[in-house]
Amino acid sequence: MKILVCISCVPDTTSKITIDPSTSQISSQGLTFIVGPYDDYALSRAIELKESNGAEVIVLHVGGSESEALIRKCLALGADSAVRVDGNPTTSTQIANAIVSYVNQNPMDLILMGKESIDYNSGIVHGLVAGALGYTHFNPVMHLDVAGDGLKLEVEMDGGKMDVNCPLPAVLGCQEPIAEWKIPSMRGIMTARTKEIVVLPLETASQIQIVKADIAETARKNKMIKAEDAEQLIDLLRTETNVL
Amino acid sequence: MKKVAIIAQTKEGQLSDTSIQLISFLSSFSPESILLVAMGEVKFASIPASKSVDVITLSEGLWTDSSAINPLVNAVEGYAVFGIKSIQVDNLLSLLAASSSQEMISGIQQMSFSGGKFSISKSIFSGKASLSLTSETVGYFSLNRNFDFSGNAEYGEQSVGSMSTLTTAAGGKASILELKPITGSIPLPDATLVVGAGRGFKDPGNWTIVEDLAKALGAATACSKPVSDLNWRPHHEHVGQTGVKISPNLYIACGISGAIQHLAGVNGSRIIVVINNDPEAAFFKHADYGIVGDVNDILPRLTKKLQEHLN
Ligand SMILES: Cc1cc2nc3c(=O)[nH]c(=O)nc-3n(C[C@H](O)[C@H](O)[C@H](O)COP(=O)(O)OP(=O)(O)OC[C@H]3O[C@@H](n4cnc5c(N)ncnc54)[C@H](O)[C@@H]3O)c2cc1C
Repeated sequence: MKILVCISCVPDTTSKITIDPSTSQISSQGLTFIVGPYDDYALSRAIELKESNGAEVIVLHVGGSESEALIRKCLALGADSAVRVDGNPTTSTQIANAIVSYVNQNPMDLILMGKESIDYNSGIVHGLVAGALGYTHFNPVMHLDVAGDGLKLEVEMDGGKMDVNCPLPAVLGCQEPIAEWKIPSMRGIMTARTKEIVVLPLETASQIQIVKADIAETARKNKMIKAEDAEQLIDLLRTETNVL
Repeated sequence: MKKVAIIAQTKEGQLSDTSIQLISFLSSFSPESILLVAMGEVKFASIPASKSVDVITLSEGLWTDSSAINPLVNAVEGYAVFGIKSIQVDNLLSLLAASSSQEMISGIQQMSFSGGKFSISKSIFSGKASLSLTSETVGYFSLNRNFDFSGNAEYGEQSVGSMSTLTTAAGGKASILELKPITGSIPLPDATLVVGAGRGFKDPGNWTIVEDLAKALGAATACSKPVSDLNWRPHHEHVGQTGVKISPNLYIACGISGAIQHLAGVNGSRIIVVINNDPEAAFFKHADYGIVGDVNDILPRLTKKLQEHLN
């Protein structure tokens, strides 16, 4: 089985987001980047499948060369090779189309990625890729097992979950508890050094114009109520807000 | 503006309030025609809108690959297609968008249309920031549940125009083995009132006081990530960066420290109440109302007060 795992490289979950006044865009100053937490789950499950069933795992990232250290980390975790589509994508369609054009040249049995990236929170790249390739699509997948020629999945849906039979090829958005996050071994780190990262040009464009980014200011009331007067909370919610 | 289509789920045959607001909102763009694609049974004969709304009902089944959705791709050709964010709506919108080679924008918080151009504000970084976008060509739109519909015009009820049913094309190959609906509780993404509880409760046996408060309020229950990791509570209650993102009118956080990853899932809440016995807990900085106290003492007292009010 050939598995492609698509990863986003995103600011660490504790990052303070600021705007660069010269560009009116999100500033990358002082940010530490990580592999998107959901993508990390997807990669971990792909590595587990490789270990249990035998599979070739290829990692794909659409982005600049600054992400190579994170791509190496994915190789250290056990991915066999990696592809970086070099560029600075601004929309989901651009990323999806870059993945689609790679897969058109290199057909896959299974494409895994996180259910969403934690920076732009769009959550649609997997659906866009599946729609363009004509692969079966499920999202968000919480359990994934190989069953016969296809997969058996547990998928979250609005108001519950479902178990499904999923034929291959498929594109899946992943979320916990599909696998546990993994830490690269010393041996993994050593072998990753010699694994190949293929660099391809980003050739897809988007018709959407990004005007600017803004920081959302949510002013909170910060009113403290003494523990002995806790019941007052109910009155305050009724009189000062209309939530009750 | 050209033709608009709305993809919406129905519950017991009815549309949600946000879907109805979306139809009114799109009516204000004076579209040539309005099409409702219902992902479930339809039991209504009229909808408030600027003109009669045609309805297509999708048959049961998995609309999960481009060959299955082919009949729908044809039905919405030439339409700008909108939906309110949910798992199934976003999945279907994105499959449709790519199947018809259109661009899609999700996470939309505000939107206007003038001079043939959409101006859109999209929520990013879990609500910590927003992105302003413009496009003349984008065809697919997913609006956040807390999209700002204030200022919507009121439209009278229009009787439904044509009604038809679409069946998935035979190419759809996936199949359902078992449906496992969550029963007996309010689904978190729909809830307008939520009581969240964290590791401060120390034992799953201590959740009765959380459930009692939620019941007295008519609220849904949520939890922090460690609580679901420890299997104290089911995974679907986990809110935060890696869990469900909620935007209720009221979120009461009890025994939760307020880690940035937790806040990322709840900072869309209109009013936040924090109850924690540590006056230094980070969550208090993000609270509208804070109580420094022991959850075992405070929660039963709030429940009692609410029950007295009801009687
Ligand atoms: C990549 C990543 C993603 C993450 N995603 C999420 C996520 O989606 N959601 C999430 O919640 N977390 C997430 N986390 C974990 C997060 O960092 C915190 O560890 C977690 O939110 C803490 O949960 P907690 O507040 O329940 O527990 P704790 O931090 O242990 O806090 C317990 C709180 O309870 C209080 N307390 C104790 N006893 C009492 C009492 N008797 N009465 C009142 N208060 C009491 C304490 O003062 C303390 O503030 C993520 C972490 C990482 C690294």
